[in-house]
Amino acid sequence: MLTAKTLAKAAGACAAVAVAATFGGFGSAAAQSGDFNALPVDPNLLTDSLAYSAAPFIINPNGQQGVEATYTHREGGTRSITTSILLYPNEQAAIASLSAAADQVAMPRKTAAAVGANGNLVSGMTLNGTQSTSVLTFNQGNVATTIEFDGPANDPAPEDFVIDLGKKQDTAILDWQGV
Amino acid sequence: MHRLTMAVAVAALLTGPILTAPTAGAGTVPDTTYTQPSVPAVPKVIALDCQGTTGNMGCGPGWFWRDGWRGWACYPC
Repeated sequence: MLTAKTLAKAAGACAAVAVAATFGGFGSAAAQSGDFNALPVDPNLLTDSLAYSAAPFIINPNGQQGVEATYTHREGGTRSITTSILLYPNEQAAIASLSAAADQVAMPRKTAAAVGANGNLVSGMTLNGTQSTSVLTFNQGNVATTIEFDGPANDPAPEDFVIDLGKKQDTAILDWQGV
Repeated sequence: MHRLTMAVAVAALLTGPILTAPTAGAGTVPDTTYTQPSVPAVPKVIALDCQGTTGNMGCGPGWFWRDGWRGWACYPC
């Protein structure tokens, strides 16, 4: 039989759980909003402001929580940038998801990138050998980010441009996480 | 007469080294060897922009103006 003392104990326990969850129980995901539209960084921030046009964002691509944005260069569509920002239940799952991100790069050259956590840049050619491709991957907690730069075979994306965009994207994710 | 002889002798002593100096080494073979300066195999090219000028839009040598990854900007040749 429930007594006033038992109810008081239960209420106290609930309060303790709520406090614990608020101050670290659910990790960084607790501060993340569900609106992904403002999350991808427009590469035009790094250009003359008119070079790229964005396709409609894909929210929750392939059923995975997050957003995918593709930006195409005005010069005949020979260059494109695809940003994929996906949320996972925890950081380990986010890191694991990035390991296969560069599987589509032929003749890969892998270097560490000073972007976010576990930043890596893999540059090479597309598997059919017709285009250059550079894939930047990093995570921030449970958020895994992949930015792919596809362009002419003789004009790969400059590394400084790739890193600049990656850093801006990393900052946007941190802001979104409320860090 | 004696004085004249002495004057000629003194004059000959003084001017002898000067007059004979250019021909003193005429009979010797120079021991220095002359080395022809090496000629570069490939003509040296000073990099200007890709059109051979100092660059459109003030890009400067080695750069040119085109619509690339950063949009319209100076890119290396």
